[in-house]
Amino acid sequence: MTGKELIFAAMRHEKTPAVPWVPFAGVHAGALKGYNGIEVLKDADKLYESLMEVHKLYQPHGMPITFDLQIEAEILGCDLLWQEYAPPSVKSHPYSEGQKLPCPCAIPNENAGRLPVVLEAMRRVKASVGETTALYGLICGPFTLASHLRGSNIFLDMIKDPEYVKRLVEFCAQVCIKISGMYIDAGMDVIAAVDPLVSQVSPAHIEEMLHDGFKAIFDYIRSKKVFSSFFVCGNATNQIEVMCRTNPDSISVDENVNMPKAKQITDKYNITIGGNIPLTTTMLLGTQQDNMKTVIDLLDSLDHHNLIISPGCDMPYDTPIENTVAAAQAVLNTDACRKIIENYEAPKSDIKIELPDYKSNKKVLIELFTLDSDVCAACTYMLRNVQDVYEEIKDIAEYVEYKYINRENIARTGAMGISNLPTMCLDGEIKWVSIIPDRETFISEIKKYAAKK
Amino acid sequence: MDKQTIYKSAADSILTANEELAVKVFSDAKSAGFDLLDLLGSGYGAGIQELGELFGKGRVFLPEVMMAAETMRKASELIEAELPPGTAAKKATIVIGTVAGDVHDIGKGIICALLKSNGYMVHDIGREVPAQVFIDKAEEVNADYIGSSALLTTTMPEQKKIEELLTKQGLRSKYKTLVGGAPVTKRWAQKIGADAYCENASELLAQLNEWQEVR
Repeated sequence: MTGKELIFAAMRHEKTPAVPWVPFAGVHAGALKGYNGIEVLKDADKLYESLMEVHKLYQPHGMPITFDLQIEAEILGCDLLWQEYAPPSVKSHPYSEGQKLPCPCAIPNENAGRLPVVLEAMRRVKASVGETTALYGLICGPFTLASHLRGSNIFLDMIKDPEYVKRLVEFCAQVCIKISGMYIDAGMDVIAAVDPLVSQVSPAHIEEMLHDGFKAIFDYIRSKKVFSSFFVCGNATNQIEVMCRTNPDSISVDENVNMPKAKQITDKYNITIGGNIPLTTTMLLGTQQDNMKTVIDLLDSLDHHNLIISPGCDMPYDTPIENTVAAAQAVLNTDACRKIIENYEAPKSDIKIELPDYKSNKKVLIELFTLDSDVCAACTYMLRNVQDVYEEIKDIAEYVEYKYINRENIARTGAMGISNLPTMCLDGEIKWVSIIPDRETFISEIKKYAAKK
Repeated sequence: MDKQTIYKSAADSILTANEELAVKVFSDAKSAGFDLLDLLGSGYGAGIQELGELFGKGRVFLPEVMMAAETMRKASELIEAELPPGTAAKKATIVIGTVAGDVHDIGKGIICALLKSNGYMVHDIGREVPAQVFIDKAEEVNADYIGSSALLTTTMPEQKKIEELLTKQGLRSKYKTLVGGAPVTKRWAQKIGADAYCENASELLAQLNEWQEVR
């Protein structure tokens, strides 16, 4: 079963042989190739290149193309504050001073704003990996889009003038439907309406003013024979039930939501739930072990039917690659990761490790410390990187892989002072942690070490 | 009308965001010769505090809180207009803003309304505020507290910069600092050396009140 088939089965609410994994690498995708957030959100080539890296390193069953809730707002006249290491933010709201409704003629076409960049990346990613990987097109949900247009006054409008809110949300839902259609035509398998602000309003207000807009979007997506998802951020515990009533195929929640409790509700409606690896404390600031443990604890706390594991929301730009690799491994190879965590937590080994005598070795020694290159994509990639250039460097260097699966290698990893995997060392010095150098950099570095011999 | 009934009506006017009732309570209290400053803190203020707690528990939501804050603003204006300048004794002064690179400020607005209604002098320095501006403003108004909000993981380092600049300028012990925002955690506050992490408006108010008790 391919990753795409696995996601489709989960979206159809069938029993799946494994839990699907969908890493939300938005601007973080750029970090994998050294591009900043502005570059990946404005340049289709860089976005495509970055997404291919996400696919290679994180082995997703499904993946979003962009995670940028400002695309629609920018088209409709909001000014954006651009940042290098985060998605842009909306900084001006065209209707903040008065209750206006946009002209229906403002509903965008394929050439509007940054849509050409997104659509091109979608088509190219579809052609490259779309056969086996489910691709997610993310749209800004109609309520958050309405708030982009009206500003925070929309919260007062909900009490003072609900009819206005309904009409504004209805317009925004039409924008969502139009853009969903474009994304579906570009090959997206799942359309996710991402609406973080839904968690900030009462279930009664959602039913009264937002329900119809969301339902129209999900009904449209279903009519086009693709799947839908409703993403929310913040503590949406109170809103899960009314979100279910808008009838999406799946819902995705962040770390503020208690997944087991939320799943009881989504199960009642036979809706798949996704989430909710904590973004900051675990993915950004945690260790590789923290990420494995969090995912395993999550898996152990939930029934695996109607379940997708993903980060709570868009991953921070600087999320360490090794942390996402660890999260991926914990979903894809859960039992192996249980063993790894046991190894991490086990008392220090009494095995005595003799480190190589790097100085007297005539060749540069490349040591690859991996989780296990047979199952971990980032590890495989690092190993292959060495193998691919080996013919060129074999006279001056040799390599060895230590998989973190036996006691001796675990002890050796500890003796080298390595805390994240995969890591590559040259003559006993840690050179690359998770990052796989390009061919030229790698060879040049090997030659530098060889020259010191 | 007795004092207890008036004060309860004041709190109710805020809880239900009923501006008409808030104005009537003010008129009745004024006619009856009540201490209007006390009415602001213990009547209307009790309402906004309860609402803040309900918001923290997920029992009420942003629209209701924002409406209540508007009603509170109206009540404050009415009462302050009756007081001679300088009458309003303030518990303490806080400078609050959203850090540089961050344009989000809905949560900050709620905090400001809650603190003002609880007798704090609040200097809201807006959004996209560089670290040094927090300090300059705190020095200018002789503040007691500095509160910063960061809604993005990429803008959180600006909170760290506030701590670093305070230390560098020999001002660290002069102020207590509070940090908040969606991605911010207690662990982050500890890591950068902030005095407190507050998850929401009512936590922040409780923290300030706790500090005020021992001042």
